Amino acid sequence: MERYITVRNYRISHTDIVRFWIIVSLALCCILITALSLEENAGTLSTQLFYFPILYATYFYPRRGVFVAAVCAVVYEVLVYVHYFPDAFQLGAATGQAVLFVCVAAVVGYFTEKIRISETRYRSIFEYSLLGIILFDKNSFGITLTNQQVEQILGYTADELKKIPFSALFCNPDEQHRFFGELGSSVDIRNFETCFLTKAREPCWVNLSWTRIDGNSVSCSLLDISTRKHALQVADDSSTQYQQLTESSPTAIVIVENGVIMFMNPAFVRFLGYANADLLGKDLGIVIPPDDKERFLAFSKRWGTPVPAADRSEFRFLSKSGEIKSGMLYFTPITRKKNPAGLINIVDNTDWERLKESVLLGNERRRGMISTVAHELRTPLQPIMGYLNLLLQDQKAFGVTEETRQILERCVTSVDRERQIIDQMLELSVLDSGETELEYSVFRVADVIRTVIADGGYAGKAEINLTIPPDLTFESDKTKISFVIDIMLANGITSSKAPKKIWITYRGAESHPFHRLAIQDNGLGITEAKLDEIFEPHPPEESKLPGQRNGGPGKSLSLAKKYIQMHGGYISVDSIVNIGSTFTLHIPKKRPDGVKPS
Amino acid sequence: MTQKIVVVEDDQPILDLMELLLKNQGYEPVLMPNGLDALDYVRKNPPALILLDIMMNPISGWEFLERLRSEYGMHEIPVILFTASPEVTEKMAGINDPHLGVLYKPVSLLELKTALAKYLG
Repeated sequence: MERYITVRNYRISHTDIVRFWIIVSLALCCILITALSLEENAGTLSTQLFYFPILYATYFYPRRGVFVAAVCAVVYEVLVYVHYFPDAFQLGAATGQAVLFVCVAAVVGYFTEKIRISETRYRSIFEYSLLGIILFDKNSFGITLTNQQVEQILGYTADELKKIPFSALFCNPDEQHRFFGELGSSVDIRNFETCFLTKAREPCWVNLSWTRIDGNSVSCSLLDISTRKHALQVADDSSTQYQQLTESSPTAIVIVENGVIMFMNPAFVRFLGYANADLLGKDLGIVIPPDDKERFLAFSKRWGTPVPAADRSEFRFLSKSGEIKSGMLYFTPITRKKNPAGLINIVDNTDWERLKESVLLGNERRRGMISTVAHELRTPLQPIMGYLNLLLQDQKAFGVTEETRQILERCVTSVDRERQIIDQMLELSVLDSGETELEYSVFRVADVIRTVIADGGYAGKAEINLTIPPDLTFESDKTKISFVIDIMLANGITSSKAPKKIWITYRGAESHPFHRLAIQDNGLGITEAKLDEIFEPHPPEESKLPGQRNGGPGKSLSLAKKYIQMHGGYISVDSIVNIGSTFTLHIPKKRPDGVKPS
Repeated sequence: MTQKIVVVEDDQPILDLMELLLKNQGYEPVLMPNGLDALDYVRKNPPALILLDIMMNPISGWEFLERLRSEYGMHEIPVILFTASPEVTEKMAGINDPHLGVLYKPVSLLELKTALAKYLG
């Protein structure tokens, strides 16, 4: 394992450092010996010593060796210059020697590099080849060399392989004999398919090709073809298998080739009532009714594409008895007797479609009925209410006495109550059918509250104190929130004691996920036992708020609760008997995920 | 001068009532038992406001409204739908008409007064 040190983003291995010091030491020794021999006039023989560091460096670092040579040449030149100046002959010889250093380094470096590159190339081809490569002896069958791929295919390690003769890899004696026959034919063999045994004693199909390299060595390449063999086997079996599998399936299944029915299972026979003889060999399109035919043709065209993809679509089918059935058709491409074909599953959803239709029709009828009932119930109330109002408004002109007035007022209350009951009944029935959806918008809540107060004429009935930031906006269903505030105000005012007072206060903190809108009255309050019951659609008589009892308009708190719940919020109540109640609406500031803007 | 209010309504008892109520409030009611006659009349004598029933024959309140609004000079006459059908709210949501209001039958005198005051300014 190589170890490294890092200097300014350069990774230097320990081996490199050792080599560096060897080169430096050798070079220094050479310089010292040369300097001393010059001093002693011992001639320039020692010059040849410089080839030690130069060749050493060039062998390991072909390009950088030239630099070492250059440095040695310069140092040598300087030493000679200092010693022999102005002896022109000596200086010329030394310069020639110095140039030779560089030339030798360059030549040696060039060849070293070339050899090294080709060696690396062959090694990487051998090591990383997708083919397994084995070198073995022709006579003894001893394996001399293998690459990684062989290890992967057969599961043995390289060392284990070297202990097994090549001939022992075959899965049975028959294959082994076949191989000996081929090997003896003295020709290089390509694509010899045979079966090996892996280390786990499992059969493994391989494709072998071999060449004799020299007298006794044989190089053999090895390709794993198990997957292909397996796939071919499956393809041959698939048709039979499909038939066996589909026989007992409850789903209707047909196999088509070019749109023609080649096979149908008993469930398909039950689905449409045709016998095998009626449809086999015919186009599947004949069971599709004319209305769906065009769509079916477009759908089935895709099956003929070179690589059909799995596909599905809903169709109606014509049974033998003429009944229209509906089903979801799933197409899966398969191979049948080596030809491209399609496996079609049909899930019968006739009953489901019928149910869906009848539910839709039922809902429509229900809406129509609700509308008619509302109209018929409300219309006759109008004259009664109108005339009662008129009598009460102009009591003198109509000669209404005090006693009569009291009776008339009770009549008004009853009519009003009747109206409320109809409204609530309608609203709740629509809510129960689940057809009501919220229509989100952003609006200023203070404006909405003022509108509710003005439209309901509440300002004349009680003193209303509004503490709402003028720019505060809600993102919710404006109509429903107005309705809830209306309900809250109407109930609060009816519950209040004279002098009637209502406080509407916003209590939402910026960090809090809910808006909190409190509507407080100075009324009779609600005992704890009755707190839950007031939100029931039909609260027990004793639990009703004053506004819900005979004698008051009584708007439905259960509706208010449903609307706020639809927003993902809730209503809380704090109440002290004889002091008053506070109803707080908790409405999420963010609309729930998945709700689209209206 | 008293303001003229056209009441389009096919239910006679309600027409009678509205006549009395509106007179009592100081308006001049014009009673129209069907939409076609009402359209004719309104064209010739534009009123201050129209109270309009929805479920009527031969033309419904919606058709009346559509024809009225398509005519020149008629799109600013305030119309209050006077109805007992719950679907009106849904339809109203799709109409952007500042001169259109709705009252649900049965309507109290106070509600009527408030609505009239709002649309007659």
